[in-house]
Amino acid sequence: MEIIKKYKEVITVVLIVLILVLIRSLGVNHFKNDAKRWAEPTIKQSNTITIEHYGTLPGKKLVINLDKDVSGISQITMDGQNIPADSILSKKYFKIIRKHDGPILLFSSETSVSARIWMVLSQMGFDNIYILNNNTDNEVFKYKFRPDTLPEPEL
Amino acid sequence: MNTREKFSIVLLCLGFILALLPLSGSRSFTVKPNELLSEVLDDNTYLTVDQVAKFIISEDSSVQIIDLRSPEEFKTVNIPGSINIPYSELLDNDSGNILNNGKTMNIFYSNGDFDSNYALSIARGLNFKNTYVMKGGLNEWFKTVMNSNFTGETITARENSLFEARTRAKKMFTEMNSLPDSLKLKFIQSKHIAAKKLDGGCE
Repeated sequence: MEIIKKYKEVITVVLIVLILVLIRSLGVNHFKNDAKRWAEPTIKQSNTITIEHYGTLPGKKLVINLDKDVSGISQITMDGQNIPADSILSKKYFKIIRKHDGPILLFSSETSVSARIWMVLSQMGFDNIYILNNNTDNEVFKYKFRPDTLPEPEL
Repeated sequence: MNTREKFSIVLLCLGFILALLPLSGSRSFTVKPNELLSEVLDDNTYLTVDQVAKFIISEDSSVQIIDLRSPEEFKTVNIPGSINIPYSELLDNDSGNILNNGKTMNIFYSNGDFDSNYALSIARGLNFKNTYVMKGGLNEWFKTVMNSNFTGETITARENSLFEARTRAKKMFTEMNSLPDSLKLKFIQSKHIAAKKLDGGCE
């Protein structure tokens, strides 16, 4: 008791800092630490798979159609799950994704939507998740630039 | 016990807490998942190549265009006024300063739609709300702006204004990218220096 009284100010300051550090470190954040590590597959481009090759992935697959229009998914698989992109984090659908043991494949007619949703889910800790995409050369520059080689007219 | 001793003990304890913290300098998403989801699904985060073309011809200094491709690709051809942050380096510490430099808009582009949209999710996840994507990337830029032509007989005022903007942007793009490599580099460096000066930094 004597010691506590003696070091009252010191203990107060240290306790406050300790509590703040604990709140900051252990606070509820649904995203994983180290965003770069979870974005790594996009740098290696190992997170996209074509419709032709998705069957080669081991394990039970969950194909998610992110479009509101459900017709797209039937072209790929009959047992896909329709989850509109804006509902993917709702309790009902998130439970399905979390409980699924095997590769998760995201499909959308808009490449940008599947790319954005992939990043959100990956940063939440899903590491067996892919983008189902047939446009393999999306990030390839398809045009040839022709420089203007004509000399400027002299005035 | 005097104040000096108390202060020393506090410092020692704080040092101890600091030593126990995880040694990770890496960054993590800070916004809430549902908040991020609604942001990444917001149509306003997409800009068309025509909107970007207008920013370029007006030389709008409140807009920063970020090329996410490799330095080699950037050197070969790039949108005038853009700066290069390869996608693989986006999560390095320096890029945070670039995104947070007070510009009202940071517009990402790559060749297609993947890297720019990954980058948007990352930037928004890190709470950079001033980030946008040029939809379709450089491929769409070439398809719409560089290959624009008019073949009809009559033209509406709106079509004319759009065509004019595309032609001017195409001219700027061609002029800048036709410069020899040495001059192009100087042009890019001068842009960087000018941007740093505006931000109050030093070279």
